[in-house]
Amino acid sequence: MSTPASDPGTGDADRELTMSRAMVDAIASEMRADDEVFYMGEDVQDYGGIFDSTEGLLDEFGRDRVVDAPISETAYVGAAVGAAQAGMRPIAEIMFADFVGVCLDQVYNQMAKNTYMSGGSFNVPMVLTTAVGGEYNDAAQHSQTLYGLFSHLPGMKVVVPSTAYDAKGLMHAAVRDDDPVVYMFHKRLMGIGWMPAPEGPKTPVPDEDYTVPLGEADVKREGEDATVVTLGLHVHRALDAADRLADDGTEVEVIDLRSLVPFDTETVLDSVEKTGRLVVVDEDYQSFGVTGEVIARVAERAPDALEAVERVAIPDVPIPYSRPLEKEVNPQVEDIVAAVESVE
Amino acid sequence: MVGVNTLREMYEQMVTARHYEERLQEEYLEGKQPAFDISAGPIPGELHLAAGHEAAAVGVCAHLDDDDTVTAPHRPHHVAIAKGVDLEKMTAEIFGRETGLCKGKGGHMHLFDPDVNFACSGIIAQGCPPAVGAAMAADKRNEDSVAVAYLGEGAVDQGAFLESLNLAAVQDLPVVFVVEDNDWAISMPQGRITDVDTIADRADGFDMPGVRVDHDDAVAVYEAARDAVGRARNGNGPTLLDVQVHRRMGHFMGDAEGYRPDADIERAKRLDSIERLADDLRDEEVGDDELDEIRSRAEERVEDAIEWAKDQPEPDAAAAHEDVFVDESTAASGGDD
Amino acid sequence: MIVDVDSESVWPADADDVDEAVVANWFVREGGAVDAGDTLCEIQIEKVSVDVTAPESGTLAERVVPENGEFRRDDVLARIETD
Repeated sequence: MSTPASDPGTGDADRELTMSRAMVDAIASEMRADDEVFYMGEDVQDYGGIFDSTEGLLDEFGRDRVVDAPISETAYVGAAVGAAQAGMRPIAEIMFADFVGVCLDQVYNQMAKNTYMSGGSFNVPMVLTTAVGGEYNDAAQHSQTLYGLFSHLPGMKVVVPSTAYDAKGLMHAAVRDDDPVVYMFHKRLMGIGWMPAPEGPKTPVPDEDYTVPLGEADVKREGEDATVVTLGLHVHRALDAADRLADDGTEVEVIDLRSLVPFDTETVLDSVEKTGRLVVVDEDYQSFGVTGEVIARVAERAPDALEAVERVAIPDVPIPYSRPLEKEVNPQVEDIVAAVESVE
Repeated sequence: MVGVNTLREMYEQMVTARHYEERLQEEYLEGKQPAFDISAGPIPGELHLAAGHEAAAVGVCAHLDDDDTVTAPHRPHHVAIAKGVDLEKMTAEIFGRETGLCKGKGGHMHLFDPDVNFACSGIIAQGCPPAVGAAMAADKRNEDSVAVAYLGEGAVDQGAFLESLNLAAVQDLPVVFVVEDNDWAISMPQGRITDVDTIADRADGFDMPGVRVDHDDAVAVYEAARDAVGRARNGNGPTLLDVQVHRRMGHFMGDAEGYRPDADIERAKRLDSIERLADDLRDEEVGDDELDEIRSRAEERVEDAIEWAKDQPEPDAAAAHEDVFVDESTAASGGDD
Repeated sequence: MIVDVDSESVWPADADDVDEAVVANWFVREGGAVDAGDTLCEIQIEKVSVDVTAPESGTLAERVVPENGEFRRDDVLARIETD
C-alpha cells in the first residue's frame, strides 16, 4: 500500500476513524464550542443522516440544534443563508448533490453572491454539506459529483476530503470560515455499513481539534515519473494504480486536491515541473470541468514543463444504471494505469 | 357501486404487485449477506418497494387507458403494474439487462414505457410538472386523455408540487395528483415536517377539490378516482387525491427502520388492503377457490417475468455512450479509452 | 491481565434470531491505547450497525476477528491487555 507522503495522525493518534465518524467528530466539537452552530437537513435527526453525516448528534444536541427539514431544499437551504446572514453558523445538508437542482437559486444566486453584491457588508458563514459520487448503481439522478458545477460558479468555497484525517480538519476549517463552504463528501468513502469503503479513507485521527486549511492540496504519494491530480474516491484508485505502476518501475506522484475553491495551483505546478507528465482524474463529466481547469492552469503557467497530458473523467453522458455500463463511464484503476502509461 | 369484474381485476393487480415486491426483495438480498453491501448481487443499487401501497395504484389506474399519462416517483412498481407496463421488460430493466425497458440505463427509479405513457423519476415531486405538461398537451390538442401524478406525502412541501397545483388550476388542466400518504418520509414522520391535518387540505389554497381516502381501501380509492378522473376528462380541471397507505417494508432495501416504532410496523402489517378487497369479493359471492386461482395466476406471471429477465444479456459497455441524443451525429466525448 | 471483548452485551434485541455478523470497521490499531468506553469497532448484523466499546482501559492486544471478517454471536472479537 502506498504510504501517504504527508503522514497525518502519527504520534498519539491511536484511534482510526471512518470518514463519517471523523466528520461528525468535527461537527460535534464545533457545536459544543459555539451555540450558533446548528445542522439542518433531511433525515438528520433519528436517522443520523442517510450517509451517517450526523450519526449520534441528535442524542447530544437535541432537536433544536439538529433539525429535520421538510423535503423543501429551496426553503431550508435559503433559510440557512438567512440565518447565516443574521450571524449564525448553520450547516445545511443537501442529501445528494444531485438535488442541488431543486434549490440552485438559493445556492448560486444567494449564498454565493450576497457577499459580493453587498460590497462585503453581508457575509454568509455557512457550510453546505452534500453527499456525492457513485459506483453503487444508483443511476443518473443519484450518482453525480458535480464538482465542476459548484466550482465554476463564483462565490463559494468547495472542499472534497478523501480521508478521515482530512475530513475532520476540513470540517473544522469550513465551520470557522466566514464564507460559504460547500463540503462534498463521497458516499463510498464514508465507511457506511451498507456501502463498504475501499482501503484508504480510514486513517488515524487526533482527538484534539485541528484544521486542514482550505486551498491546500496534499501530495498523497511522491514520485518522479508522472503526476496524477485527482480528488475524492479517485485518490484511492490513483494510489492503487500507483502501486501497480511501481511494480513496473514507474513512480507516480498522486496529488489530492482537497480544495477546488480556492485551488492550489502551486502544488500542481511544482509536481508537473518535476515529472513533465500530467494525468488528471475526475469523477465528474469531462467537458467544461475539473480536468480542463487543471490542465488549463498548467498550460498557462508552465507550458514548457508539460510534455504530455491525459485526462480521465466520466464522459459527457448521464450515468447509467446497469453495472457494466456504469463501470464503463466511471474511471477505474485500470483506466488510470493506462493513462499514465500513455503519457510515458 | 363497483362491478364484481372490476373488483376481480383490481384484486389480481394487487396480488401481482404484492408478490412482485416480495420476490424482488428476495432477489435483491441475494449476494448482499451477511453484511449488507448495496452494490452486490443481481439487483444492485437502491430499491424502494411498494408493499402496502397497492390500493392507491389499482383504484386510480382502473379508470385510465394507454393514452392517459402517469408519472410516478422512486417507489413505482405497483403503479407500473396497474398501468399496464410491460412486466418482463420492466423486470429486465430492474436487473440492468440490455433488453430492459431502458436498455439498462434507467434502473428501477427511472422506468419509461411510451406504449402506456408511463414514466417514473427519482427526484421528489419532480414528476408533477411533467404530468401537468402531458395534461397541457391533451388540452391543446382537444383530446380527452388525462394525466396522473403520483407522489408521497413527504413531497407535498416541495416547490415543484405546489407550483404544479397552481399551474394545473389556473389553466384548468386534466390532471389528478395522487398523494400516497404512508406517514413516513424516509425517517421523518409527516407530523414533524408538514403542518396540515390531512394532505387533502393542501388543495384549499389552490382552487381544486382535495379528497382524503382513508383506510387503505381499494374500493374507496376507485370511487374517489372515478370522480377525479371524470372531472378531468370532462374539462373540469384538476383534483388532489390524498390516499392513506401503509409502508410494509423500509424506505429502501437496507433501511433497518430503527427510527420507526415497532407498533407502527405491526400496524402496517395488520392493515392489509389486499385482504380487505378479498372480503369485498367474498361479499359478492366470489369463492376462495377463485381467489386462490387469481393468486396463482398472478404469482406465475411474476415468476415468468423474473425468470425471463434473469436470462437476458447484460448490455455492452459501448452502449454507455449512446442515447444521449437521438441525433447521434457526434459521439459523446471519450473518457477512459 | 487479558480481557476478552465480545458483542453479546450490544447485540440488538430484535436481531435475536440472527447468529452471524461482520466486523465492518476497526477503530483502534493493535498496540493502541484504549480507555474504558472507547469505541473499538463497528459490527454489522444484517442491516443494523452497532458499536462495540472497550469494557476496560488498557492496550488493544489483539484484533481476533479482522475487518470484514464474519463471526458468530458469542465469538471473541478482541483482547485487551489491562493497565
